[in-house]
Amino acid sequence: MSRKKESLNDKKTLKKRLIRYIPLYIMALPGLIYLFINNYMPLPGLVLAFKKYNAKKGIFGSENVGFKNFKYLFATKDAFVITRNTICYNLAFIVVNTILAIFVAILLSEMLSKLKNLYQCLILLPYMISMVIVSYLVYGFLSTDNGFLNNTLLPLFGKDPINWYMEKKYWPFLLTFVNAWKVVGYNSIIYISTILGIDRGIYESAAIDGAGKWMQIRKITIPLLKPTVIMMTLLAIGRIFYSDFGLFYQVPQNQGALFAVTNTIDTYVYRGLLELGNMSMASAAGLYQSVVGFVLILGANFLVRKFDRDSALF
Amino acid sequence: MVMRKRLLALGLAVAMLVASFTGCGKKDSANTDSSKTSTVSEATSNSGSDAASSVIEARKEEAAKTGKYQKVVVSFFDWTGAPAGLDRVNAAISEHTRETLGLDVELLIIDSAAYTEDIKLMLSSGEQVDLFSTCGPGYMTCVNNGYTADLEENGLLATYGQELSQLIRPEYLDACRVGGVLYGVPPIKDYAIQTATILIGTEYLEGANYDLSKFETDELGYYKATWDDVDAMFAAIHEAFPDKTVFSTQDNLLTQGSCVDNIAGDYFGTLLDPSNSLTIENVYESDLFKEWADRAYRWNQAGFISGDALSDKTGASARIKSGAYMAMMSQAKPAYQNQINGECGRSMTIFDVGESFMSSSAVSAFPWCMNQATEDPIAAMQVLNALYTDPVVANLACWGQEGFEYKVNDDTSINWPDGINADNSEYYPNVLWLMPNQYAAHVWEGDPVDVGEQTAKFNDECPVKSKALGFTWDNSDYVTEFTALKNAYEEFGPQVVYGFVDPATGLKQLNDALYAAGLEEYMNAKQAALSAWAEEKGIK
Repeated sequence: MSRKKESLNDKKTLKKRLIRYIPLYIMALPGLIYLFINNYMPLPGLVLAFKKYNAKKGIFGSENVGFKNFKYLFATKDAFVITRNTICYNLAFIVVNTILAIFVAILLSEMLSKLKNLYQCLILLPYMISMVIVSYLVYGFLSTDNGFLNNTLLPLFGKDPINWYMEKKYWPFLLTFVNAWKVVGYNSIIYISTILGIDRGIYESAAIDGAGKWMQIRKITIPLLKPTVIMMTLLAIGRIFYSDFGLFYQVPQNQGALFAVTNTIDTYVYRGLLELGNMSMASAAGLYQSVVGFVLILGANFLVRKFDRDSALF
Repeated sequence: MVMRKRLLALGLAVAMLVASFTGCGKKDSANTDSSKTSTVSEATSNSGSDAASSVIEARKEEAAKTGKYQKVVVSFFDWTGAPAGLDRVNAAISEHTRETLGLDVELLIIDSAAYTEDIKLMLSSGEQVDLFSTCGPGYMTCVNNGYTADLEENGLLATYGQELSQLIRPEYLDACRVGGVLYGVPPIKDYAIQTATILIGTEYLEGANYDLSKFETDELGYYKATWDDVDAMFAAIHEAFPDKTVFSTQDNLLTQGSCVDNIAGDYFGTLLDPSNSLTIENVYESDLFKEWADRAYRWNQAGFISGDALSDKTGASARIKSGAYMAMMSQAKPAYQNQINGECGRSMTIFDVGESFMSSSAVSAFPWCMNQATEDPIAAMQVLNALYTDPVVANLACWGQEGFEYKVNDDTSINWPDGINADNSEYYPNVLWLMPNQYAAHVWEGDPVDVGEQTAKFNDECPVKSKALGFTWDNSDYVTEFTALKNAYEEFGPQVVYGFVDPATGLKQLNDALYAAGLEEYMNAKQAALSAWAEEKGIK
């Protein structure tokens, strides 16, 4: 009896809660509709990856071909290079960008200057620039005949000009640098907002106990940032099989000599399918990337939950 | 509470990331195949032109009743997006076609950079586009994806495109057949190309005091030169203008600089001697390519080629227009002088170094096609017919309206009206070569008025005509190899083509990579298809 009553009570409070939060649900509605249209409605289209697409027959009427569309991603010797590049770059980006973003966030939040907002805007600016434009900024530095480095900087130190777009060894660093320059400002916003949310009282009592700035950062700010770091990293891991197409295609100027260090899954698929225009193979590549991303994010979350239950996403 | 906050944060983060997942799709609308075939067969029971005119009458009656004309949409690209005067031109075309065909015509002109994607999206989403140029997405891609309608289904072309089917020679129509089915009609143009044409800015040759009187001219009126002459001229202008780069490169040494047939649309397995042999060979191991690689390397060593040639993506003619480069290579045809002077922004001297050549895919490179989902194939076919044969429609589509975009001279050639030029004209697509029939329209002042006949003669008299003219191959069973080959070429090809590596090592690297990517299998498959095709056609 009492059990039944309890569940009734539960229902009542649930109903009450629903009513109370209606304004919030309404606020979330546009976003949810967008999410549904953009991310859920196209899901049935995934069958395209297993079809030989023909516009006359339509997506669902086209002939089934099983896993044939996936073959080109694995069958050649390039498969290793593109998978290695994609994953290693993304791992490097996760580490470098997180460290730099936290560094910038702490600096900005500790800053008392009136110019703080200006700095924040300036650091965010690269994120707003299209990759195509970035690629030409980079080109301005690296161009063999007219570049800033070869014409101004290197002669200043008495060094010989370098043919940047032919030398593989520089590009892992260049790409990591360009990527960091572009996204750190944006990533730091999330950390800044977390830092602003930390109770100032903690810092005050730490100061009274004689903790200096460095000590406060080390013992308060960074530990309290941990859940955000874990969340952001988990999300990044879900995207580890994707690569920023603009960064890997535009910035090296699609330079053949650099493929060994710049070819990723996305650029490989693009180069191969540009002329074929084969929708099924493009879908196959997309599906492969999202499935691996999904597995990785589940795995990473499982590990986090094992070691630190509170920090896990779900 | 902590949990909920975290979920909220997650939600926010996801919302931010959603932006990077964008991509929207429209489902195919089911097409009404059955209804359209019934009208076609109904109409074909009457014969020939009777059928055509009775359909037009029926359409006019329908329009008189409803006050609305049926519309046919025709899509192709230009360089700058929809021209400002497009609505006016469309209205002018429709005014004419309401009389002649009983329908409205809408030209849908899309920027060249967006056309390939846009047209594929429209064709697979059921948006109205009835006729389209395959220049951009590619003919075989459109056919393989099932975008295109069979133009001869139930006698469509013969009944409703009579004049069109007589205008285009059967051999050129045959060249567009895929598996025996005609999916497209080729634009009437120069199918043959004058290969390896070297263009040098006239002012630079004069500046170097180079004597041109020793050159003879060919049938088209261009100077005939040898590669040694070219080397000598390059050296001369290099010396006279040391601050300028001599040669504006582009990756065209096979496409425009040789008579190698890129059979089935790519250079992975080619016909090296296309007018005599149907044996597929690897061009990158050939003497011809070696010679080119040596030449590029020699030019690069001599400083004729920019150190940025590999990464500079600017078009070859645009670089010459900028004034920093002096020469380039391309392909010529009758009435080329006006076109190239315009592209390079200065007077160019044309040197004919190679032979004239018609490749297997020359005719079928980008035919005009009909959307398989078009609601009224008869109307679409009649509009296609008009685009090829009705001078009023052809003029409007190619040049715009008389008095607005052009004025007619006494000899029927045309030029800009007062105060109008390429920059402020409201309709100047500048894509004559992809239009259905540029010769049905006026000729621009400065080009020979009989350019149509000259071009036909140029096509007919082409000495190197590929034996495989009209051969097409669906490579969809070999896409794995194709993707790998494409990547291998992009990795090692351009540096050889632009002369940045010693050919001895560069060519070996390139060929090793191509063979590792499956060139052998790819070439064998191509050869098998070609041999089967040749046997069927009785070509030895």
